[in-house]
Amino acid sequence: MLQNYFKVALRNLYRNKVYSAINIAGLALGVASCILIFLYVQDELSYDSQFSDADRIVRVAGEIEHDGQTNKFALSAPTLAPFLLKDYPELEHVTQLLPANKQTIWYKDRSFNEDKLLFADSAFFEVFDYKFLAGNPATALDQPRTIVVSEQMAQKYFGSPDKALGEVLKFSRDSYRVTGVFTDEGNSHIQANAFLARSTFDTQQQDVLTDNNHWFMLSRYTYVLLRDEAQIAPFQEKLKTFAATHITPWLKENDLQASVKFVLQPLRSIHFNTEYTEDISTPGNISYIYIFSVVAVFLLLIASINYMNLATARSAKRAREVGLRKVVGAYRSQIIGQFIGESLLITLLAVILALALAQILVPTFNSLTDKQFNSNFFLQKEVIVVLLAIILFIGAVAGSYPAIFLSRFKPVDVLKADKAPRGGNAALRRSLVVIQFTISLILIIGTLVVFSQMRFLKNRDLGFNKEQVLIIDIPTGDSTLVNQLPSIKQELLRNPNIEHVSNSLNIPAGDLSTILVYAEKDGGTLQNAMNAMFVDYDFVDVMGIDLKEGRNFSKEFKTDLKGGLIVNEAAVKKMQWKNPIGKRIQMADWDAKVIGVVKDFHVKSLHSKVEPLILALTPESSGYLLVRMKPQDMPATIAFVQEKWQAFDTKHPMEYFFMDEYFDKQYRAEEKMLTVFGYFAGLTIFIACLGLFGLASFTAQQRTKEIGIRKVLGSSTTSIVLLLSRDFAVLVMVAILIAIPIAWYGMDKWLQDFAYRTNLSWWIFAVAGLAAMSIALLTVSFQAIKAAMLDPIKAIRTQ
Amino acid sequence: MNKELLIETKQLQKKYVTDTVETTALAGVDLRIAKGEFVAIMGPSGCGKSTLLNILGLLDSPSGGMFKFQGEDITHASERQRAKIRKHNLGFVFQSFNLIDELTVEENIALPLAYLGVSKAETEKRVTEAMERMGIAHRRNHFPQQLSGGQQQRAAIARATVSSPSLILADEPTGNLDSVHGREVMALLTELNEAGTTVVMVTHSPSDAEYAHRIVNLFDGQIVTENLNVRKHAAELL
Repeated sequence: MLQNYFKVALRNLYRNKVYSAINIAGLALGVASCILIFLYVQDELSYDSQFSDADRIVRVAGEIEHDGQTNKFALSAPTLAPFLLKDYPELEHVTQLLPANKQTIWYKDRSFNEDKLLFADSAFFEVFDYKFLAGNPATALDQPRTIVVSEQMAQKYFGSPDKALGEVLKFSRDSYRVTGVFTDEGNSHIQANAFLARSTFDTQQQDVLTDNNHWFMLSRYTYVLLRDEAQIAPFQEKLKTFAATHITPWLKENDLQASVKFVLQPLRSIHFNTEYTEDISTPGNISYIYIFSVVAVFLLLIASINYMNLATARSAKRAREVGLRKVVGAYRSQIIGQFIGESLLITLLAVILALALAQILVPTFNSLTDKQFNSNFFLQKEVIVVLLAIILFIGAVAGSYPAIFLSRFKPVDVLKADKAPRGGNAALRRSLVVIQFTISLILIIGTLVVFSQMRFLKNRDLGFNKEQVLIIDIPTGDSTLVNQLPSIKQELLRNPNIEHVSNSLNIPAGDLSTILVYAEKDGGTLQNAMNAMFVDYDFVDVMGIDLKEGRNFSKEFKTDLKGGLIVNEAAVKKMQWKNPIGKRIQMADWDAKVIGVVKDFHVKSLHSKVEPLILALTPESSGYLLVRMKPQDMPATIAFVQEKWQAFDTKHPMEYFFMDEYFDKQYRAEEKMLTVFGYFAGLTIFIACLGLFGLASFTAQQRTKEIGIRKVLGSSTTSIVLLLSRDFAVLVMVAILIAIPIAWYGMDKWLQDFAYRTNLSWWIFAVAGLAAMSIALLTVSFQAIKAAMLDPIKAIRTQ
Repeated sequence: MNKELLIETKQLQKKYVTDTVETTALAGVDLRIAKGEFVAIMGPSGCGKSTLLNILGLLDSPSGGMFKFQGEDITHASERQRAKIRKHNLGFVFQSFNLIDELTVEENIALPLAYLGVSKAETEKRVTEAMERMGIAHRRNHFPQQLSGGQQQRAAIARATVSSPSLILADEPTGNLDSVHGREVMALLTELNEAGTTVVMVTHSPSDAEYAHRIVNLFDGQIVTENLNVRKHAAELL
């Protein structure tokens, strides 16, 4: 019997090639997308799960409330660790990570610039059980000047992880002996190329850490391993008193008006936590997980709807078979079984095709998502389970409706030649088409909104000129090079195509310095944590920032050094100064006056509003060298800069980038979302149209006789095309009406993420509606025209 | 008529109700058909002959009256019970053949046996026999649309008889055939009947009705005359 079902199913697929292709291709596209989305979601959710004690590890993050504002920091003070260990016996280990600056590392004749370097103490590998390919994690970081490198880094420097142990890597200041190599397996929020023994740092920097009890020196990530997972909640409770006993007295003693609170972040939640500034790596975005998952379900739903619609629409063709099977004694349950089996078979074929499709798409998907999925993903146990679930789900759910519908036919009704039943429930089919188009429209509108916001972001006046600025990342720790900066600048300015050159510690879209300032206000002083950029005399010119009041830093005024500051408009507003020039600001060992006010400019992405900012003069700043070029002959100018720079710096590989690209990188997540949205919108509308195409051809077939009679009575081809298209146009119209408010709500919420945003203008909705309508009509009209062109005599004879 | 009864109906009624109209298809039919009989049901279009055949074939249920099959009252049998009786006892032949397009001749004929759960070897044997009897064995691997009308109807008869049913119901079996093929089909039905199978046939054609033992004339849902086929009986007597 099964064999018989199987034969009928296959022969049916073969005979109705168009329908089969629509069904299988639509489902395959949907399933292929689902597979990729599943891989992505699974990968994102796997962060930090490879550590055996992941459930018992928490990070201690801090919230500092000051002046009515709460700032959340992923970093905490060095002094936190010893206190925690002393006060809480439930903690098995406390470990701190200290991020290191980017470094140039030499090995024999090779040198590379390395980032993602972290100082770690010897307890680190007790808490995080990295898999070691060489070396002993228990003792690897015990000695100063030791380093544990990643598999990839070992490969890069030594050719193989086996050759790494005992080799020595030269940094600009010290040399480090390799004592371990860890695998790159698994995702972690701790993105590290190497861990350096922190004992090196502690002995070296002892003099710098004069105030070891400074609770606001936020420089380290603190992780604790609890003895038991159940102790996390009580420990969080106890930390409230910790702040009261240790920090509040210190705040009073130092006359600081702030309050501090500690928050525990379970290890596996860190990757999705975006609230904390200066996190160790860019966090993932949980909303993408949601969006992706919803899209996956949508795609499957749309493809399943095609299946249900076409199956019931074509039911007339299968009715005779059902009737006959019943005549020869088939029970209804057997018929239902047959049709569900058939839909399982179709789904199975679609899944096989989907696997091939996903294989082909993996590289594209990888570049889209910055992931490294390899093409044998389908051997994964989880993927197989998901595929089986998809087959069962679609097979059973999409298959059951046609099965129940078809098995209801009575032989008496279907076996007479002139009594062929109409194809199924047209109202249901119409509603399903509306659902498909609503989903497609929401995605189209989403794509358009993201697109227009991206355009808005890129074209908005930032208050400075980000074009034509080349930025050189100055290697750290090379004092000879820093001393030569004035000569380098002079040398560069000899080129007439270079307008200005500046050296600064901070750049837009990079890290800002946060500094505690005491500012003059209404005769008294206001204590405030403010953002600052440490810059030289030329920074304002290189950036093309407009001065609103006062003057720029000048070498003519000796007092500008540690005595003059420039602030932005937001700072003036915050301090409520009427005459900002000459106002006094104290910070660290500076006692300065405001000498100028610049118009607000965007140092951060347009997600956030312009915040108060101080520009502080430090002519020896050695973070970056900014070169403003003329637009003419840029390649030659860039080559010139490279040549001159490398003449001065022979030791380090030169690293440079362009300010506009660097700034726009902040919108990479949105760019990605745009691409992904675009792809999915295209895919859903395509699958929906596949279904529509099938339905239109069915309708045309069903109405052949009507069309013939109309033509005999004098109707034109045009009016028949209109007649056939109208029904579908109404469905798309309804979908537009449903989709617009939903999309409006969702995209308005998305836009709330940006402090500066485009309007949800009417044209977006108009364009989306028009696009969907045109695509739908184009799909339908092909069939409609074909039907309308038919010879009326033939048309009447059918049936 | 002292033979064992296969079918017995009393005051059989069938009414169709649509939104506003009630149509009476059968208005109290009393019919007794003995095992081994060959009965033709005749009458003008709309007289209810197809309805009667569908009820006798357990494809439809009566709105009133009583229906006994092999002495068992099945007036109110469930769909599942009726399907069971159909598969064990009945064979159907239709005017429009009703072969499944996606199955070959052989597979079409094997279908009833599949629902009966007959073994593969036994199926093979019985299907081959049926095809040989109908003279279509050389067409076993063809699909219905590759066959002539006569061949299709012979395949349909092979399918109706492959499970050796006690009753064959034929609804205008020659309606879509030319006279030569029509006669062939009638000859086959007669042959089956002579081998012991009861045949009930609805027909418009007086010449087809000639093959039957008894002709039941329906009009407006009622039996108006019930004649023994004199010529046939005479032939048998001779």
